[in-house]
Amino acid sequence: MKTATNLDVYYEAVSASDKLAPIQEMIRACMQCGTCTGSCPNAFAMDYTPRQLWRLVLLGQKDEIFRSKTFSLCSDCYLCTLRCPRGLHLTEAMDALKQIAAGENRAEYKYSILFNKNFMQSVRRHGRVKEMEFMTNYFTAVKNPLVPFRFASLGIKLIAKGKVSVSWLPKARFPLEKIFQKVNELETPP
Amino acid sequence: MARKIGKALVVGAGIAGIRAALDLAESGYGVILIDKSPHIGGILSQLDYQFPTDHCGMCKMLPLVDRDASSQYCLRKGLFHENIDITLSTELVSIKGEPGQFQVMLKEHPNWVTSDLCTGCGECVDACPIEVPDEFNSGLGTRKAIYLPIPHAIPNPYVIDYTVCTRCGACEEMCPTGAIKIPEKARGDFRILVVDDELIVRDSLKEWLAEEGFAVDMAASGQEAIEQLSQQTYQLMLLDLKMPEMDGVEVLQKTIDEFPDLDVVMMTAYATVETAVEAMKIGALDYLVKPFDPETLIPMVKRLYQERAASEGRQIEVGAVVLCGGTAFFDPASGKNTFGYGIFPNVVTHLEFERLLSGTGPYHGQLVRLGDGQALQKIAWIQCVGSRDLQLEADYCSNICCMAAIKQALVAKQKARGNLDTTIFYMDMRTFGKSFERYRQQAEAKHGVRLKRARIHTVDRHAACGDLILRGVDLAGQSSEERFDMVVLTVGQRPIGGANDLSELAGIELNSLGFAQTEAFSLTRSSRSGIELGGSFTGLKDISDSVVQASAAALNASRILHAAGGSLALKSSSFIPSTDVLREVPRILVIVCTCGVRLPAAVDTQKVIEQLTADPLVDGVDFVEQTCTAAGWEHLEKRVAESKPNRILIGSCLPYVYKRKIKDLGQRIGLNPSLIDVVDLASEYQKHVLEKEPKEFITQNVTSKLEMGIARLKWIEPSAPPDIPVIQRALVIGGGVAGMTAALAIADHGFQVDLVEQNDRLGGNLNWLERTLDGHQPTELLQQTRTSVEKHPQIQVHTQTRVVRSTGEVGHFQTTITDAQNTEQTLDHAVTILATGGREAATSAYGYGTSPVIVTQKELEEKLSNQPLDATQLHSIAMIQCVDSREEPRNYCSRVCCANALKHALHLKEINPDIQIYILYRDMMTYGFDESYYTRARKANVIFIQYQFTEKPQVMANQESVRVTVIDSIINRPIQIEADLLVLATGIIPNLPTQLAETFGASVDEDGFFQEADSKWRPVDSLKEGVFACGLAHSPRNIAESITTAEAAAQRTLRILGHERLSAGKVVANVHHSLCSLCERCIDACPYRARSIDMDQDRVLVNPAMCQGCGSCAAICPNGASVLEGFLEQQMLEMIDAAIG
Repeated sequence: MKTATNLDVYYEAVSASDKLAPIQEMIRACMQCGTCTGSCPNAFAMDYTPRQLWRLVLLGQKDEIFRSKTFSLCSDCYLCTLRCPRGLHLTEAMDALKQIAAGENRAEYKYSILFNKNFMQSVRRHGRVKEMEFMTNYFTAVKNPLVPFRFASLGIKLIAKGKVSVSWLPKARFPLEKIFQKVNELETPP
Repeated sequence: MARKIGKALVVGAGIAGIRAALDLAESGYGVILIDKSPHIGGILSQLDYQFPTDHCGMCKMLPLVDRDASSQYCLRKGLFHENIDITLSTELVSIKGEPGQFQVMLKEHPNWVTSDLCTGCGECVDACPIEVPDEFNSGLGTRKAIYLPIPHAIPNPYVIDYTVCTRCGACEEMCPTGAIKIPEKARGDFRILVVDDELIVRDSLKEWLAEEGFAVDMAASGQEAIEQLSQQTYQLMLLDLKMPEMDGVEVLQKTIDEFPDLDVVMMTAYATVETAVEAMKIGALDYLVKPFDPETLIPMVKRLYQERAASEGRQIEVGAVVLCGGTAFFDPASGKNTFGYGIFPNVVTHLEFERLLSGTGPYHGQLVRLGDGQALQKIAWIQCVGSRDLQLEADYCSNICCMAAIKQALVAKQKARGNLDTTIFYMDMRTFGKSFERYRQQAEAKHGVRLKRARIHTVDRHAACGDLILRGVDLAGQSSEERFDMVVLTVGQRPIGGANDLSELAGIELNSLGFAQTEAFSLTRSSRSGIELGGSFTGLKDISDSVVQASAAALNASRILHAAGGSLALKSSSFIPSTDVLREVPRILVIVCTCGVRLPAAVDTQKVIEQLTADPLVDGVDFVEQTCTAAGWEHLEKRVAESKPNRILIGSCLPYVYKRKIKDLGQRIGLNPSLIDVVDLASEYQKHVLEKEPKEFITQNVTSKLEMGIARLKWIEPSAPPDIPVIQRALVIGGGVAGMTAALAIADHGFQVDLVEQNDRLGGNLNWLERTLDGHQPTELLQQTRTSVEKHPQIQVHTQTRVVRSTGEVGHFQTTITDAQNTEQTLDHAVTILATGGREAATSAYGYGTSPVIVTQKELEEKLSNQPLDATQLHSIAMIQCVDSREEPRNYCSRVCCANALKHALHLKEINPDIQIYILYRDMMTYGFDESYYTRARKANVIFIQYQFTEKPQVMANQESVRVTVIDSIINRPIQIEADLLVLATGIIPNLPTQLAETFGASVDEDGFFQEADSKWRPVDSLKEGVFACGLAHSPRNIAESITTAEAAAQRTLRILGHERLSAGKVVANVHHSLCSLCERCIDACPYRARSIDMDQDRVLVNPAMCQGCGSCAAICPNGASVLEGFLEQQMLEMIDAAIG
């Protein structure tokens, strides 16, 4: 049985000050042609297709949007942006959704957020990701002993191919600290 | 005979240009019809099949009254009209002056083939070494530099594409008739002066240019250049910008005034481009950035040379101009090209596909895969390629593509005898025109064309088998992959190349997208008075809309011509009345064109003379070398003057071409032109010569052809074509905007008009329409139009009046009307326009009538204008589109409702930005430039929800609010909307009672709208001549479109009203009353309703002006009482005898 989505008359769910409002603004011209879904290489793994996600955004269905893992699966390939006949910046809109989810520290995205955070920390420190350090930090942060097992088979494959540097490497010669600080500065509202 | 002497120029001989030219010519004006290309017909010449008949039918545009003024054969092949002067390969240069008195400069492309001499043998083509893509086949094939622009034109002389011709002269040598003259030294006469201080630049330029045949001189400094210029005449100077002592700009300044005919092109380094641009302001034509290669330089020099080589401009005086600038299409290879156009051979545009379907196309109409030649089994169409695309700055819909794709799918299926799978991938299927929706539904349900709402993002090609792979998602979000043999990209419209130049030289404005801009409430008026716009120049149009708009443009041009005094003046003419030869014994002079030496080579001429002169009625047989040349014709005239025959038979080629000459000849010697006939001998004997038949056989064939002509002439009755008197008054029924416009248009031409309106005031639907989507004011329009109508001395307005009955036919109708006091009055008029209008349909769907918060679109408009509805107090509004529409019994789109919904939504959002508006639609029919308002509404946060026809919205209402439940197709679940107001778009129904239509002999279609004689080619005519329709009675339309139909209908009446007597064609039917048994079969058989029965005299009557001479009546008559003039029984039998003898 399908559930009815009740649209609120006053649209309280999405007021102008709401975080979703700027994303709605970005995709208003969407006419649901589905080019984004058709071109999305990750659509097969998404619970909502990109077109459905945009529809939910326009209809202001916040709860559903942030229960979905669609935007967290976006790999920023920009195919949808390239092909959208309406010229919408869909990849940016996906990123904006990710940022809201991260900013609100939503439980649904706990692992994704921690993954991202630890990944970036490693990059910040070394100028590139140090796989061993990153893995250790990530697994510690998730506080779930089962998670490392989930990655075990992938990890073995990567090590076998020499994709994981096992040694502790010295600090990078050109740390990205300054860039990260600048980004922080730009992103922090005055 | 009273003749109008005004002259109009029609630019562009596509379908719109032809219609406008014919309309003006038929109402008596002289028309100059020009086209840039070497053929008429525009895009239509490439299209063989048109919906809804899936045939052609262009000939239906030919004149129906005074038919003999024009050619009467396939219009795709050619057009002749005695009032139309067609000049091809000609461009517009400038338009000066004012309405009524324009001085127009035209420029003709050089033509090196003398068309009168070209026999179309094609030997030149074999000789020509140049091969270029063939634009007639949309580049799918190749042609030579000397070629036939379209294969089926008559006459069809070869033309040389001078832009690619190398002037090798091979064709000139081959031509057996000496028709080709290539200006040999032309390039040598074009002197170029190269001025540069660097020797290497001078040398290489000289080498490149000399190789192309130009005369080149060099100068090493500015001073040297000036000296050389004073000694020798140069056409072009290539001038370096940076030189020691005197730089390029200085040279330019010193020479520009002294040598005004010299073209100067600056040569500059990249760093000094700005200076070069400055130089252009002084007078340089262009600049080249160094270093450049021959590929950049040569085309530029060639272009400048060709511009000069084009023959000198010709100035003409015209009263008005109709500009049918045409259209271009999006090139899918430009931009991202995710469909692989130009990369995969089987990805084609819909124009290319038309050529693939065509019998004259590169594959003779065989549907095969390009490349491997296998039969096509699966074709996909992708819609909106280059349309509705903001990334491509094409925020508009191209109007015709949806129907074009459906038509192509159907024709392709028919060609493949059903063994073809067709799929159209679309976003909204825009079936907004009359009968479009049913056509679509039939294509789907009956013929199995698959329509899939999905936008394809990429076309891939299977590496092994070459199949094209399309991936897309359906509405439910399921991705699917399908293979096709061919993918047709339905490409959208683009402005023509050079639209800016055209707008500049014509002094008209373009819209922001680069298409011609029309004035408010008009589809034809440009920003410059006296210049009317036609065809797809103002936005892509299908045939029907083009034809309507072209007639409207002709009307507005005619208005200017009339106001300038160009009408009803006597045309001086050295007309000698035909001597009556009816009672004379036929004396037939036979003149045979030998076409140089061709005929004597193939035929025993002596034997021909012997056989023909055996007939005592043959006065003589004479051979003339070339009747098509001036000398030949002179000889012919001399011979005629000597022997004074009373019938003349000319044996030559292409009888069509002789039409005007024969008429002139007849008038000069006082012989009825119908007594002069031309038979086509050339194609006869040339065919046999090719087949290597023996000489005796060919001689016999040629003789029989001539004998047939003699037999025909013998029996011809030299009576003048019949004509009927015309009561020069018009009746317009319906006083809405269409009726008022039509009445004004006719009255402005000086004819009396009776305007009948059943209500107490004029205005119709304009009385409640407050605004339009594009922000114009219908109220102002109503004010102005109503005042003009009421004040017009030639218009009698009859309000509160109805039509009781009408009798009569074109030329003289008698219509009885009755007013509020039941006083009857009878009006005499020549023509009738039905402009009875339409109204918003009533409904009981979606709970309408149960709650005050459920209203129709019209009610919303009224509520908003009278202010009982305060939009600032509203929170949420839902609108449902297509209420009771696009389903039986009202299975059509009303065309205006989607635009109306947007209009209301945007207006409400303007008053109160916080209002939530939901528009529930099936397909948004925002065709053309209205698409941008759709985008605007989306951006303004109007929520659009597409619902499926099978799952319509559910409505629950109480007295204050309404709850609409609709299944959103994208997320596929019900959505509930709480709204303060529900607005229903119920569509338009016509106010055209069948009885009223029938009293005038017109009929209505299954939806109650006016039935046109032909939906594409005669869109405002009834099958019965003299009855026309416009406005909503004709079809659902917005205000500007209604006005356009009204103008078109008015124009169609002027063809009739402009004559005191309406002359019929020579070939008309007649009745021998003594043989007639009054079985009335002929009345049913007549497709033009020209026959009626006169009860008083027990006779079947034929209206000669309505009869088109088809002969159906003569064939069906059991007694031989019905006869066709010019096709008598004895005559036919004798001709058959001659043919087989």
